[in-house]
Amino acid sequence: MATYADLELVKYLCCCKKKFSVCRLYLCKYCLQLRCTDCTQHEVDTPYCPHCLENMPSGEAKLKKNRCSNCFDCPVCGHTLVTRSTSHTSPSPDDPTKTIAKKMYYMACGFCRWTTRDVGLPDQSVASGSWPILQNPHEQRISSLLENYKIMAQIEKAEHERKKYVSRRSHLYRQDKYGGSAAGLRRKGMSTFSSMSSTESKVPGELEPSVTVDSFEPLPNEYFTEPAALVKTTKLAHRHSVPEFQPTEISKLHPIHKHLLMRKSLRCKECEHNVSKADFNPSSIKFKIQLTAQHHVPEIRILTPSTFTMNKETIVTLTLSNPSVFGMTVSLHPIEDESDTDYCSAKVELPKKELLLAGRDEPSMQMYDDSSQADEFKDDPKVIVFRKGNKIGFVVKVTPVVNEGDVKIQFMMKHEFRNTTAAALQSESKEPEIVWLEHKVYMNLGPIAKKDPNVSQA
Amino acid sequence: MASKKAGGTTNPNLKIAAGAMVCEDCELIGDITIGSRTVIHPKARIVAESGPVVIGEYNIIEELVTITNSSSTESGNGKVLIIGNNNVFEVGANVQAVRVGDHNVIESKAHVGPKVEIGTGCIVGAGCQITMAEQLADYTVIYGGKCERRIQRERPPAQTLQIDFLTKILPNYHYLKKPNTQPASRTAVKK
Ligand SMILES: [Zn+2]
Ligand SMILES: [Zn+2]
Ligand SMILES: [Zn+2]
Ligand SMILES: [Zn+2]
Repeated sequence: MATYADLELVKYLCCCKKKFSVCRLYLCKYCLQLRCTDCTQHEVDTPYCPHCLENMPSGEAKLKKNRCSNCFDCPVCGHTLVTRSTSHTSPSPDDPTKTIAKKMYYMACGFCRWTTRDVGLPDQSVASGSWPILQNPHEQRISSLLENYKIMAQIEKAEHERKKYVSRRSHLYRQDKYGGSAAGLRRKGMSTFSSMSSTESKVPGELEPSVTVDSFEPLPNEYFTEPAALVKTTKLAHRHSVPEFQPTEISKLHPIHKHLLMRKSLRCKECEHNVSKADFNPSSIKFKIQLTAQHHVPEIRILTPSTFTMNKETIVTLTLSNPSVFGMTVSLHPIEDESDTDYCSAKVELPKKELLLAGRDEPSMQMYDDSSQADEFKDDPKVIVFRKGNKIGFVVKVTPVVNEGDVKIQFMMKHEFRNTTAAALQSESKEPEIVWLEHKVYMNLGPIAKKDPNVSQA
Repeated sequence: MASKKAGGTTNPNLKIAAGAMVCEDCELIGDITIGSRTVIHPKARIVAESGPVVIGEYNIIEELVTITNSSSTESGNGKVLIIGNNNVFEVGANVQAVRVGDHNVIESKAHVGPKVEIGTGCIVGAGCQITMAEQLADYTVIYGGKCERRIQRERPPAQTLQIDFLTKILPNYHYLKKPNTQPASRTAVKK
């Protein structure tokens, strides 16, 4: 999709005055406005594992450092590891003459062929959940630091609240300052105060300060005398992917717990209605709500590139397609009071009549007969060059007014929109209300042809 | 065109050991020896113009694989290209190596240049190109778009089950070239 829809040649103006291609925009049904990713509130729905597709509550995800406990990535190339089983025969403990076959499991990367056996991890007797977890050597230090920062944050919060309070009623503060009365605190009803007073004494002094390192051991001689064993040494990316261990040798790499992904929903910042919300089940590709502009706003594209010369009228064919299943009327108008001078490098003559578009009807799309459809819509062949299903090709006349650079035009597109929001449905007699929406469209039609200085103009 | 004719059943220098599975629809040009239990899929191409190609046992050579003896620019003057046992050449691999040892996997569309010597247990990943003159260390794995390297601990597993399966299934759908030498006699000569 991104390769052919996201060309950035035709852009629509978002309500925030930024320009985006239509596939990057959303249409809020309630505000009837285009919204870009900056005009929407991004919210985390739930974290989930992209491999086993299991949801994890945010609290648990935080506890597990946003990683799945069952899925692993290859520490060498980052691919997902798969579990392989082998049968392992060992002599039976009861009868040495017999052997028993036991299924053992190991993990392997299908891409770079790394296996857990490569680093000497023993095969496991159960398929998942039993892989050893490496202990972070700095865990204690990190947790004590975290603890300290938590206390600091609490103190700061309390301080902040006290200041707020003091500015309102400064005489109470003075009382507290000297009396330190618990009654005064209680009267204020600030729980943070009481919790603070118990932790306050703990803070300073107890944390061991970090030690500055100012000298390093010189490199061992082998670094200069032995050839570099690049195939056995980890790369920077390998070390960064496990910051707690940063192994220098490939043989010390362990499987990495897979990172969780976030399922995100988008909300209109103005009216707080959702414009995009995924299905609860991570394996579903459907959306509960998906108001991407591509599904509601007719899409304009450039049919073929043209050659432009300054002050010469060129006919450009554009296509317009209707994403809705209902017929749609579209009209194009020049923008009178345009302040954006960047998109003024050509004059454009737009079709004067309204353009009628058939609804989108997937199964019968191929069956349309061009000529009969053109008759049905009484198309002017000078304006509408072809009609196929929900799509038309129409011409605009473009006259560049600059002699170099890109030919850029702009116009206003008005189109019908069937408002199917609950509010709109209730007010009318269950028939969706038809409203007209306006969008500013900006197009880059391509560069002006390079003039050959030796050829005089005909 | 002429080479295509030479690749037909009439190639007098083609030696196929009993037990090998060589599909009729592949191109075998020049002095080629194919060991027992080796499977050569249709549309594979083995060119032994500058020197002979000797392929060992239990190898799988898949569709559109090209193996070329390019040890010399003059026809017939080059050295023998020896391919060991238990190697897998995946679809579309292009191998011109000096020598290929045992238990190697050349993955799909990989390219092994004419001055490369492959030892034992190596894997050349899908689409990886090795063109420099070098001798690959045993158990080298080359993978990814940047042809990164790693040494693995174990060699890739032998494809015995896959060979058994292909031996059963291939004759149902393809004409095969008839073996013309006995593997026993070949080993006797070696001794
Ligand atoms: Zn915006
Ligand atoms: Zn998972
Ligand atoms: Zn890997
Ligand atoms: Zn809204």
